[in-house]
Amino acid sequence: MAKDLKLENLTKIFGALVAVDSVNLEIREGEFVCLLGPSGCGKTTILRMITGFEIPTEGKVIYDGKIINALMPQQRDFGIIFQSYALFPNMNVHENISFGLKMRKMPKKPMRERVHEMLDLVGLYDWRENYPAQLSGGQQQRVALARALAPNPSVLLLDEPLSALDAKIRVRLRAVIKRLQQELGITMIYVTHDQEEALAIADRVVVMEQGKIKQEGTPLEIYKFPKSSFVADFVGTSNFFQGKRQRDKVRFKDWEFLVPALETMSAENIYLAIRPEKIEVMRPGETPEAVERSNLTHGRIEVITFLGAVVRLVISMDGDEIICDMVEKDFELKNLNRGDSVDLYFPPEAFLAYPLSSKEELPE
Amino acid sequence: MDKARTDTFAQPSIKFKIDKFIVIVVTVCIGIALVFFMLFPIGTILKMSFIKEGSLTLENYIKYFQNPRISRSLYNSFYVSIITMAITTILAFFYAYALQRTTIRGKGFFYIVAFMPLIAPSIMQALALILLFGRNGLITAHLLRISWSIYGATGIIVSEVLYCFPHAVVILYTTLSAVDTRLDEAAQSLGASSLKVFWKVTVPAAKYGLVSAAALTFNLTITDFGNPVVIGGDYNVLATEIYSQVTNLFRFDLGATISVILLVPSVCAFLINYYITKRSFALISGAARPFLQPSRKFKKWGFTIYCGLVSFAILLVFATVILGSFVKVWPYDWTLTLKHFHFPSLGGYSSIWTSFKIALAVGLLGAFFTLIAGYIVEKKRPFGVDFLYLLSVMPAAIPGLVMGLGYILAFNYPIFFFYGTSTIIVICVVVCNFTLGTLSSVANLKNIDPSVEEAAISLGADSVRTFIRVIFPLSMVAFVQNFIYFFMRAMTTISAVIFLVSATVHLAAIEIIQLDNDGWTASANAMTTCIIAIVVAMLVVLRLLAGNKGFAGFGGATSAPSG
Repeated sequence: MAKDLKLENLTKIFGALVAVDSVNLEIREGEFVCLLGPSGCGKTTILRMITGFEIPTEGKVIYDGKIINALMPQQRDFGIIFQSYALFPNMNVHENISFGLKMRKMPKKPMRERVHEMLDLVGLYDWRENYPAQLSGGQQQRVALARALAPNPSVLLLDEPLSALDAKIRVRLRAVIKRLQQELGITMIYVTHDQEEALAIADRVVVMEQGKIKQEGTPLEIYKFPKSSFVADFVGTSNFFQGKRQRDKVRFKDWEFLVPALETMSAENIYLAIRPEKIEVMRPGETPEAVERSNLTHGRIEVITFLGAVVRLVISMDGDEIICDMVEKDFELKNLNRGDSVDLYFPPEAFLAYPLSSKEELPE
Repeated sequence: MDKARTDTFAQPSIKFKIDKFIVIVVTVCIGIALVFFMLFPIGTILKMSFIKEGSLTLENYIKYFQNPRISRSLYNSFYVSIITMAITTILAFFYAYALQRTTIRGKGFFYIVAFMPLIAPSIMQALALILLFGRNGLITAHLLRISWSIYGATGIIVSEVLYCFPHAVVILYTTLSAVDTRLDEAAQSLGASSLKVFWKVTVPAAKYGLVSAAALTFNLTITDFGNPVVIGGDYNVLATEIYSQVTNLFRFDLGATISVILLVPSVCAFLINYYITKRSFALISGAARPFLQPSRKFKKWGFTIYCGLVSFAILLVFATVILGSFVKVWPYDWTLTLKHFHFPSLGGYSSIWTSFKIALAVGLLGAFFTLIAGYIVEKKRPFGVDFLYLLSVMPAAIPGLVMGLGYILAFNYPIFFFYGTSTIIVICVVVCNFTLGTLSSVANLKNIDPSVEEAAISLGADSVRTFIRVIFPLSMVAFVQNFIYFFMRAMTTISAVIFLVSATVHLAAIEIIQLDNDGWTASANAMTTCIIAIVVAMLVVLRLLAGNKGFAGFGGATSAPSG
């Protein structure tokens, strides 16, 4: 039987705060799962309950068919990577990596071999005599990886491991982690608030908000078919409109957008979401004839930001700011400048629609 | 829930089941030890003062207030403590200001001199003042040829100011380092004059530190025994009255009563200090300190002279006592001699040796137990941790003399085998100074990233191994600091141990009082010199062993709130 990790009805209450609210989740052996959510959504608390540093108020942590709620962290055979690296400052790299092996009373010789193997794995063999303070942040986190992997844990838990690092090193180390996961076939549970990181690295993304799982799925599913306005807003960037339903259209200010997605819903008040790259920006008069006229609006370019291969425009549409992403080549071809008037086209099938309950607020 | 039934529960192995209880067991042990060695003795004192022949009565208190000679000690104590508090706080504030906010030269020197009084017993100041301003003083009787002498209230106040000075400087130095100098600069740039900036910005910003320093000074003075007993003459204060009731008149009930009366103001001062420290620490931010603009010439000279004078007074005390132990007959015959080092008292050199051994034990045990207490309080937080924390900080509110009296009242029974041995002295000194040790351990442990400990645990280390392999090595600096602190306290404290020395256990600091009492003033000086020499030697040895590490917070670890 595969060593799956299962969370059943997992709940954690701190005083009056429900940090984790009856979460159910199954993680298969060898899977790379990302818990994604804004700070305070309970993702780290879930991780800490899996590690054993927090005791669940209710529910079960089940591993390999056994309820492990009562097990001490030492006995769980899970490796942990911390945001702050958490290396032992009084030990050098070699001693840090061998710590877990010493605790398991591994004999000297195989221990040294194992440490060297780990040092090679993370490419720090030449640094083995150094102390953590003498290493860069990225190197320190690689030592932490080697240290956590040395005892050969069956699950590796990573708590915002890259948040303290520079953007460049973050991307590079992300690749290292992904490669290690695939090579070793180890189960990884990775907590982050960085949606880009989550989409880039995980087999499966679990989006959380206020202690609850909002949606889980592959990165592509999450990005393309967010099930709620929260996910649409939190994962990637979205433009939002709040309007009233008029049969197969949604009325927003003076416009009435045709929204095919309405077919499957019955709500009166509707959120519309659309990704910036789905909106087409055109010079006035260059609009093709074959478009749905009701989804055509116009606006003025307020801000132009170069993001490398993509150019992000902020366009004022009758006072509302709309974010549009264009491929850099297109942008150059169209020769757009700040202050230019443009036509905007919202392809009907690109709209995601959500019923607007009275409780929900429009995301900012 | 059929599914749940098919799941089996994984049970922790025996080893980790035990591990779960280790923290609780250690917490309970330390808690019981503190209750037994602190609350029990204090409770015994309370019982003795309030209960007579089995019934609750205020008889002792009525007796105290009806005897004008004894009850005057309350007024006297407040009088000298309040004046000492005012003078010391002001002197220390300007001294700390000079060290933190001006660009005078010789700051390192002034800093070290300010902390020198900590290495000597709080009796040295009085000894020095008597040599200089006493009935046969060098300055009064011989240079100025006047009949005035310093005994009494004046003597107590001057010696207490000199004794309390470093404690007040520690607090104000830290406070001023925390207050952002950019505030001063901002005010100046808005057109405020230097004097106005000082009164309207600098002083208000340091108000918590000022109140805290004042409360601590008050507490140190009202609970001090060594200086008033030597220089007070007929001027009795609460501490000396407790001693004379117990030692001369064997009135344990009155001694206990006066102890309770002394406990009231010292607990109040402690509470103020505790409350203020908590608040002011919140104000200390880790903000980088901007460049200190060069002080103007007038300010620079003014503060240099000021610090010079204060340092001179402190150094003069040391020079006088040390010189006084080497000259034949102060102030007539200045021939150098070692004869005063042939101690005529019972204890003699063996008392120094005993003191040293006890101080080593106190240093190691004190540093060790306060580290564990700090670890439990800051990191482990088991059930009932608030009670343990309360017990750990409480000793600072209890004057050493009261604790010592509590010990003889509570433990003077054959079943307490440690009574009358050096063990009880070690325990008493450790307990009396437990507060500061714990607080500095906590402060150090706060700096250790909680993830580091969790990393060790997740890698399979149990509580004990986590502590030994990770927490202890990372707390080495605090450990050494606390060792120094406890060692110094054990070498120099008088009040905590004066009731505990016995026919078989003599202590160097107590020998000073006995020598002075018997008229061997020069030998009392010599004994003081020996204590200073041992403390200095220990500081030097540790500095060589630990590099500069252990001294990083030398000042911070040495503001003892108990007499």
